[in-house]
Amino acid sequence: MPPKRIIIDTDPGIDDALAFLLALASPEIKLEALTTTQGNVTLETATRNALAVLELAKANHIPVVAGSVVPLVQPLRASAHVHGESGIGNSKLPTPKSKPREGHAVDYLIERVLAEPNELGIFPIGPLTNIAMAIRKEPKFAKAVKELVIMGGAVLEHGNVTPQAEFNIYVDPHAAHIVFHSGIPITLIPLDVTHKCLLEQIHIDRLLRIDSPITRFIRSAVETCFAHSESYGGKGCALHDPLTLATVIAPELLTLKELRVDVDHSGGVSMGKTFGDFLGKTGKPANMRVALQARGDDFVELFLQRMETLAKTISV
Amino acid sequence: MKHILLDTDPGIDDSLAILLALASPEISLEGLSIVHGNCSLEQATTNALSILELANASHIPVAVGCELPLVQPSLLAPETHGNTGLGYAKLPGPRTKPQVQHGCDFLIERIMSAPGEVTLVAIGPLTNVALAIRQEPRIVQSLKELIIMGGAIRYEGNTTALAEFNTYADPHAAHIVYHAGIPTTLVPLDVTYQCVLTQGDVDRLLRLDSPLTRFIADATRFYMEFHDEYQGVQGCVINDPLALALTFAPELCDYRELPVDVDISGGVSLGKTIGDFYNYNKKPANMKVALGVRPRDFIELFLERMEKLAQRIDSIENKIGTQKNADSR
Repeated sequence: MPPKRIIIDTDPGIDDALAFLLALASPEIKLEALTTTQGNVTLETATRNALAVLELAKANHIPVVAGSVVPLVQPLRASAHVHGESGIGNSKLPTPKSKPREGHAVDYLIERVLAEPNELGIFPIGPLTNIAMAIRKEPKFAKAVKELVIMGGAVLEHGNVTPQAEFNIYVDPHAAHIVFHSGIPITLIPLDVTHKCLLEQIHIDRLLRIDSPITRFIRSAVETCFAHSESYGGKGCALHDPLTLATVIAPELLTLKELRVDVDHSGGVSMGKTFGDFLGKTGKPANMRVALQARGDDFVELFLQRMETLAKTISV
Repeated sequence: MKHILLDTDPGIDDSLAILLALASPEISLEGLSIVHGNCSLEQATTNALSILELANASHIPVAVGCELPLVQPSLLAPETHGNTGLGYAKLPGPRTKPQVQHGCDFLIERIMSAPGEVTLVAIGPLTNVALAIRQEPRIVQSLKELIIMGGAIRYEGNTTALAEFNTYADPHAAHIVYHAGIPTTLVPLDVTYQCVLTQGDVDRLLRLDSPLTRFIADATRFYMEFHDEYQGVQGCVINDPLALALTFAPELCDYRELPVDVDISGGVSLGKTIGDFYNYNKKPANMKVALGVRPRDFIELFLERMEKLAQRIDSIENKIGTQKNADSR
């Protein structure tokens, strides 16, 4: 089978960076581009980080295109306390030598998708602002995207930014509403499953047996994540964004359910909450496949193996 | 001369605003961006091109923008503007075509190429303007002024009990635009509903027998029936031309600086525009709101300019006609 061609729409972000590395380490995937958005960090930092991580992995031939500066309607919200000031924990990657491509991510996504209808999958792992804007700007976009695999939402799980809402969706709930109802085939990877995939100190120690910029980067990236996790009694750093790639490299690890999912954007205490219509109360058809169970330990093992392989090829 | 871009969904009163722009020597109409609203995007585009042809102004570029509101489902207004968007008027299909460029990109390019020069008059739902702001935030600093026809501050709504059509059709876009930081003037129903075009006014225009005056009569006849049937208004309210007129005749209205917000919470007040007259929220004013108007001064100005435009078009048509006759001899 030829590798699956994907564009990752991203706000790196610790686990975003780990998702790029996993994509680059996976022969089942051809990473075609990164489009950036505000979210974990500002757009400027997100774009810089995307370029820096690609350089670290010697993959700076992959284009990076900068996108939305602020969410559609809600105010900007960047989360330094989780992802560190740089956005990638305590890691200090050198300033990238490469530059983002000219133009706006929204136009880049439209152009790429319309040039090859139903060929490209988009993996949004940040707030959905860019994707929503592309849908509204070009009505043909939704029909030409092969699929969206979205990291976002908390369907039955509790939220990670409010008691109910997950960060990516909460940052731009209006964009999520547009995307969820766009008709594009969607797979949702919510906190329900990403919270099962925890990277722990023991895993970092194992990776560090290989002396490589990759393993050292991963260690410094996840340090703040470990500290944040400990602060609320968690066990490790959830591999939220990398888990989207399991839909390609290890789909057997996920249990998907066809479900009608909507998002609250009415501005009350449930703002940004994603909810599934499990009993068909709305009488409306499913609009996505939702991962509700995952074999988390198996995914972490797969992630580690791929990182080890990648680290061995990049040892300087 | 003021450089004007018009974001519009023609629409009966939109078409009158386009004609008023063409009839006004104080301003230069540099282009139209089209948005969904009174009628579908496709129909609005056809209408815009046809109206420009009617007025011998096909050199003005028309760029097609957004088909759907940002978050809300599509809302069109055939009961107000008729199935074609132009009431009973039937214009020939346009020979010209719209620009290839997207309406949002057109706005961005024109605004960025003349920083501090361009006045944008937005007389439809604000989807194009909002998307342009989100795609190119620098247009906020580059726009000279934004004049919006929309909202109902201390006036009843014309779409729900509380909400005005343009704002209700895309309240999230309105929210984006209101809080963007552009120097903004709002022209709400509070003032536009004072500006009623009467049958007597239309009869006066029809004393000039011209394609333009006949178009205005046919378009507004439908509009008058709507206003009579739904709102008990004798005549029709011409909202959009008032917003356009304020680009060169700001003295037609009285204004108040106000913090204005729009309800996007999805309850019964969805799309309601709220003026914080007593500054309960302790926020600075984000726009100038027209709250008083001299309606007959405006209607008189509108009628005079339509008469002049009709005469100008007819004299051009006659010249072309004479030329054609001479050629065929």
